[in-house]
Amino acid sequence: MTAVLDLPSTREEAWRWADLGALSAAAALAPVAAPAHEFLDLPGARLLFVDGVLDEARSQLHRVELTDLPTSDHALGRRAAGKGWRLSLDARAAADPVQVVHVATGRENHLPAHIHLGDDAVAQVVETFVGAGWQNRHLSVTLGKGARLMRSVRLLQPAGFVSLREEADVGAAASLVAVFLGAGGQGSRIDARLTLGDGAFGDYGGALLTAGEQRQECAVRVNHAQPDGSSRQLWRAVAADRSQASLAAAVEVARHAQKTDGEQSLRGLLLHRTATVNLKPELEIFADDVKCAHGATVGELDARALFYMESRGIPRARAQALLTRAFVNDALERIGDETTRAAFEADADAWLEASLSRRERSVGSTAPRAVEILPGAEPTQLGPLGAAEGEG
Amino acid sequence: MLRIENLHAEIDGKEILKGLTLEVNAGEVHAIMGPNGAGKSTLGYVLGGRPGYEVTAGSVTFNGPEGPCDLLEKEPHERAAAGLFLGFQYPVEIPGVSNVQFLRESLNAQRAGRDEKPLSGAEFLKLARAQADALGLAQDMLKRPVNVGFSGGEKKRNEMVQMGIIDPAFAILDETDSGLDIDALRIVGDGINRIMRRPDKAVLLITHYQRLLDYVKPDRVHVLADGRITRSGGAELAHQLEREGYAEVVA
Repeated sequence: MTAVLDLPSTREEAWRWADLGALSAAAALAPVAAPAHEFLDLPGARLLFVDGVLDEARSQLHRVELTDLPTSDHALGRRAAGKGWRLSLDARAAADPVQVVHVATGRENHLPAHIHLGDDAVAQVVETFVGAGWQNRHLSVTLGKGARLMRSVRLLQPAGFVSLREEADVGAAASLVAVFLGAGGQGSRIDARLTLGDGAFGDYGGALLTAGEQRQECAVRVNHAQPDGSSRQLWRAVAADRSQASLAAAVEVARHAQKTDGEQSLRGLLLHRTATVNLKPELEIFADDVKCAHGATVGELDARALFYMESRGIPRARAQALLTRAFVNDALERIGDETTRAAFEADADAWLEASLSRRERSVGSTAPRAVEILPGAEPTQLGPLGAAEGEG
Repeated sequence: MLRIENLHAEIDGKEILKGLTLEVNAGEVHAIMGPNGAGKSTLGYVLGGRPGYEVTAGSVTFNGPEGPCDLLEKEPHERAAAGLFLGFQYPVEIPGVSNVQFLRESLNAQRAGRDEKPLSGAEFLKLARAQADALGLAQDMLKRPVNVGFSGGEKKRNEMVQMGIIDPAFAILDETDSGLDIDALRIVGDGINRIMRRPDKAVLLITHYQRLLDYVKPDRVHVLADGRITRSGGAELAHQLEREGYAEVVA
């Protein structure tokens, strides 16, 4: 057993859906052989971490360095202290993509990282988590004026847990886009806080796909500290069996952050009525001239669309797969690089295929379990009319 | 080609079809007219196999290209593969799935059901473009998500484009004329004639008004009221209904 006793209680609002018991359970899993890992066919740095330690022989660092990094005071983030990887680009520099593969063979590992982009620098980072055990990461990002960072992160561990704590400072007119895909069997918590400068753009979103008894969640807060910023949080959850996916997304607008444009779209899809999706869109606005759109819906596949497709000859399981994939792809289309996006879509497809074929075999269903939707949300059937969008 | 005998069907325990009998032969176009709530759309959905529409008595035999079969035994997608096409009164919007993908999946699923080879992307596009042109539907609409952002008239044209691509043996068209202006009505009417007016095909037109029948001349017209066919006649029956109203004619 590991010491996880100093983590917050789920009685704390920011941790209410966190599956903290799963952390020690993940760390106690029997070790597995290092699984196959594959880098995408992209130029640039390739970092392979096995149990949090760089495998130098199989890595190419390019502009990335290993160094001691400052710690965070966050409950999860502070555990990932010490030596980690850092990408630091000077003003106007542009790096080839950086790929990081995190392989775990069991127990727990913790690793910090820091990305710093000077003014107008551009970078792309793709991270992949595979294996078993508990992998805990802390990332701090600082973007200079007009810098642009695109991150794509996929969680593909068959078991265990991945916890990510990310803190980003997005400078004036800079852009940070991060897309997450949880398509493995692991539990997860994606915990992030973004602070946006003058006219900055922050886009944090993704798709969490859960099955079995799995629990995944995101808890993202975007802070508009300065005027004219815009943010977008588009999350999709697909929950099968008795799993639980939770999406909590908050926008905070400081008193003088006028002309802020925030958008939140949280949608959940229940493949079985025993599954749970929790949604919590949260707005905390102190400025008076802002636009913050938010929408939150949970539902099942649109029965009319299913019949329409069947009536044209598409078998039911295939129609379900097409509709579910369209639902998930909403969240993945933000990935700019085509190779990366195709890989993420293929991971999501593989999950859907496995989950929907299992669904065909399962028999019967019981009454829906609790579906909790918090302020501004309303349960509807998903469909063209299903999105209950609002402005606040 | 289609023989419906003493069909009873209900939704949520409420009986809507109450002993409907109808036969449509190959080479014929039949129109079903009737007042609101008579069960016209229900008939279409029951024949298409929509979940929630429960058949409690009666039979439907379909004699398509694959030979006679019990239609009610089949799953909805198997009915499509057997040659049945259901044109929707309210075509459904499907965000995230393009028209091209939707139709190619449909056509190739049907072909697979009949042990035919799937069409290649190029073969399919050629077919789809020709049908879209014939119905005056802009090419770029094929790339757009199914029916999303289409006007009422465009949705109905899209139904006809789908019918042209799928090339069914038997079409049930549920109020295909509603929401169409005069020009669109003629285009859609011409489409129905072009695609379905063949000796080995047949059409069941469900409609409220007589006007579509000016373009698609029916061989038989039936009045559906309170779940049954109460009167049948030739094309002139539609004109009589238009003049005198259902209450007068059915009574």
